[in-house]
Amino acid sequence: MYVSPIREPLIRGEKNYSQVTKDILAPMAGKPSIYWYLGISLALIALVFGAWATYQTVYYGIGTWGLNKTVGWGWGITNFVWWVGIGHAGTFISAILLLFRQKWRTSINRSAEAMTLIAIACAGFFPLIHMGRLLLGFFIFPYPNTRALWVNFNSPLLWDVFAISTYFAVSLIFWYVGLIPDLGTVRDKAKTKIRKAIYGFLSFGWTGSAKHWSRHETVSLVLAGLAAPLVLSVHTIVSFDFATSVIPGWHTTIFPPYFVSGAVFSGFAMVLTLLIVARKALNLEEYITVNHIESMNKIIILTGSIVGIAYITEFFMAWYSGVEYEQFTFMNRAFGPYAWAYWIMMTCNVVTPQLFWFKKIRTSLTATFIISIFVNIGMWFERFVIVVTSLHRDFLPSSWSMYSPSLVEVGLYVGTIGLFFTLFLLFIRVFPVIAIAEVKSVLKSSGDHQKTAHHE
Amino acid sequence: MAGFAMVAIGLLALVYGWIAGLEANRIYANLHLNSFYFVSLGLIGLFFVAVHAIAESGWQVSMQRVGEAMSMFIPVGGIIMLIVFLSGGMHHLFEWTHKDHLDHILIKKVPYLNQPFFYIRFFVFFAGWGLLAWLIRKTSRQLDMNGDIQYFHRLRKYSAFYVVFLAITSVVSSWDWLMSIDAHWFSTLYGWYVFSSMLVTGFSVIVIFVFVLQRMGYMKHVNEEHIHDMGKYMFGLSIFWAYLWFSQYLLIWYANIPEETIYFYERLNHFDTVFFFNLVVNFVIPFLLLMPRNAKRVYSVVIPVAVLIFIGHWVDLYQLIMPGAVGHEAAGIGFLEIGLTIGFLGLFMLVTFWGLSKAPLVPKNHPFYEESLHYHTNY
Amino acid sequence: MNKDYITAYYNDEEELLKAVRQLKDKGLEILDVLTPFPVHGLDKALRMRRSRLSMVAFWGGAVGAALGFLFQAWVFTKGYPLNFGGKPFFAIPSFMPVTFEMAVLFAAFSMVFAFLIYFKLGPGAKTVIHDERITDDRFLVVVGIRKESNYQEIEQALIATGAEGITHNV
Repeated sequence: MYVSPIREPLIRGEKNYSQVTKDILAPMAGKPSIYWYLGISLALIALVFGAWATYQTVYYGIGTWGLNKTVGWGWGITNFVWWVGIGHAGTFISAILLLFRQKWRTSINRSAEAMTLIAIACAGFFPLIHMGRLLLGFFIFPYPNTRALWVNFNSPLLWDVFAISTYFAVSLIFWYVGLIPDLGTVRDKAKTKIRKAIYGFLSFGWTGSAKHWSRHETVSLVLAGLAAPLVLSVHTIVSFDFATSVIPGWHTTIFPPYFVSGAVFSGFAMVLTLLIVARKALNLEEYITVNHIESMNKIIILTGSIVGIAYITEFFMAWYSGVEYEQFTFMNRAFGPYAWAYWIMMTCNVVTPQLFWFKKIRTSLTATFIISIFVNIGMWFERFVIVVTSLHRDFLPSSWSMYSPSLVEVGLYVGTIGLFFTLFLLFIRVFPVIAIAEVKSVLKSSGDHQKTAHHE
Repeated sequence: MAGFAMVAIGLLALVYGWIAGLEANRIYANLHLNSFYFVSLGLIGLFFVAVHAIAESGWQVSMQRVGEAMSMFIPVGGIIMLIVFLSGGMHHLFEWTHKDHLDHILIKKVPYLNQPFFYIRFFVFFAGWGLLAWLIRKTSRQLDMNGDIQYFHRLRKYSAFYVVFLAITSVVSSWDWLMSIDAHWFSTLYGWYVFSSMLVTGFSVIVIFVFVLQRMGYMKHVNEEHIHDMGKYMFGLSIFWAYLWFSQYLLIWYANIPEETIYFYERLNHFDTVFFFNLVVNFVIPFLLLMPRNAKRVYSVVIPVAVLIFIGHWVDLYQLIMPGAVGHEAAGIGFLEIGLTIGFLGLFMLVTFWGLSKAPLVPKNHPFYEESLHYHTNY
Repeated sequence: MNKDYITAYYNDEEELLKAVRQLKDKGLEILDVLTPFPVHGLDKALRMRRSRLSMVAFWGGAVGAALGFLFQAWVFTKGYPLNFGGKPFFAIPSFMPVTFEMAVLFAAFSMVFAFLIYFKLGPGAKTVIHDERITDDRFLVVVGIRKESNYQEIEQALIATGAEGITHNV
């Protein structure tokens, strides 16, 4: 396919196919570096903290949290929404960018999708633990039971059950179907018998037959077509948890698309945070180039601006509606006791991403890394602001109260971060972090030396 | 010269409306509907050029002149709209202009809903759109004449300005021109809903223009691969529109707050045909017809669906405007509505073809032109 | 493949494409082509049919949607009608999210399982691996030998297209 010579190459450093295989498989071979051990030790410490907090919650109950009668949802739901949001980048990259034929996705989709799966697992933990009795978690599924009662299909919380579990399941097969050919490569490159047997089992007997490839492409494409609306539906349904209620600040029609945009925004920020480190640590700088970072930054501007417009729209409509409760809630957000959280959210989500309009900042790794952390923080605070500020001022002033988390809640949050990093660090040891076959398929049109050949 | 004939039909419809003594509200509302509808097509035509320029995509280059030409209608529609407002349309369309009869809710909205500020916003919108449309068209021509890469960068810069400006103004203008008709009612999603409706129609109209031009013997370089992509846009954007429609409807239905549900109550009880027609024609039909891969590649499916979408979103706009501006007793679809729409369509076609005649149909010095020419996709 | 065949490989996908077209024109029976990544245009060169997997997804999705919707409708009108917030028992808008999720779930899984089952791929599947380099950088062609056809002739044809490493199982 013809590619205009003014386009920058996607893969640097004059590679051939065999070199691609070697480079991408390199992080899986040999002993992990000292940084890897350091990282996983920190992650495990966080995980232990989380395990303690889980034990406290399950043994003593939700009373160990900082919640009260007025603020019944606190960090638990904030973290849930934050993690689900982070889980949106992977499928966005592999599904929506596939449909839009963005070739640069090939270098980042694998690891982003892995992040999605891990983030969804972290997210799912919070509603389960919030129910208090972890062992009765299966109550949320409709199954024939002695009470003859079904689950409430009218409840957005139940829609969430379906949305999150479908999202996890479909993302998992989407990710795994993409992995199959690469696992075949790992199998064929394996040095030991055990490795060969394990990856042989995992690669589903992949042979690379043209017929298989052709159907594999169809499957990926249709899965992308299915996953694209699925991504939208998941955060839409999460937003329904809030927006179907009549709580001021929650009930607003812009929530569905605005939550989706915020989710992609935070997801890309997390992908950037991790990949900027990973590309360096795993020597993949020629595959995940500054071009890739820049493209992701452009999506950050886009989604960040959409989120910004949504904030302003909400604020304006609160005034325009003439509903005094809405007006009070928004004034309280900006100038009330939680104003600090509101302004952190505004600065991190609306102001800092706008810096990416400057090409210098967009292409600077340090700046991108810092801003991506800002966005992660900002998007956490967005959920905190939505959950807590809307609740803490009840309709009855006698019920007004404040909320701050207990150590147990902090532990649960830190614990999921530990879980996220533990699983991610394990992932980069056992699976190829870049889609090998997909990179090879764009190498001819977007590789470095092929590009120079075009120039001549 | 079909265009002139169509404009004549439009004028005839207007005269008919006047002579037949139809309610003034109805005549003004129809003029307003059509001028908004066709201005938004111009805006989306330009958006098509701009959004692909900043996304650095190549395939659409061979048909971007159509989008540029559509944007020529923006000032024309703006002038018509202004005349409609100044000649008494404000009074007939917008309840909040009846200064002496405002209830306690509308009085609170006066800082935003007042005529001077309304006109200021109006001029800001059209000045910005007109200026950026002119700049983008000019740069695109310059790029075509000498192919210097700096014009391409300039084009991208203007395009970025336009996309940002449109993102804000399309939302605010839809509040001003459409939502404030039902002055008590409000919905935060409204602006994006209207934008998605504009978007899918605009892209469908581009396909129709390409089809017509090919029938006239031009644009031979557009092939089924390009049509396939436009088909995918129509398919995807129809779903996106339905998604926003559903989000807004579900949330208002579910929370069941009277001051919000009244909006749908009115539409479901007095405009039910239009209400369901809207959903079927704009979502169900494009969804089912455009789902198979091959359907998106042939004119025999894409064009009928594009025409349906064009009609469907006119009806969408009808159900946004009429219940508030005219009311169910006086509203209806008759010769006035159909004739006037044909008139506007004729004017829009005249302006667009005039725009197309002013620049070569093929932007052959565009850096991505070769890509578009050799374009073919697996899916 | 319990048939007699010759394998040969190419180092480049463009060479491969050219060769496949030539071999097809000569009327040779190409049993399989093994590549490290999907080669654009190969399905056309091999004259493959368009996939019908998307139909599987469509019907899977239709079944999922119907199941999801009808089950909810049954629960709230027949199974155990409960009044939630004054909504009608048959509340179509609030059945939509679950219906949609079920449609996507069924569509995705039915299609992926159809793909795996049709090609007999799965955990621990036993398949013939002709050459371990084909998942790295080799493009392998497997040409069948019919009774009447001449082994040498095929080999000549392959060499003419620039094939390397010709091996066979006879």
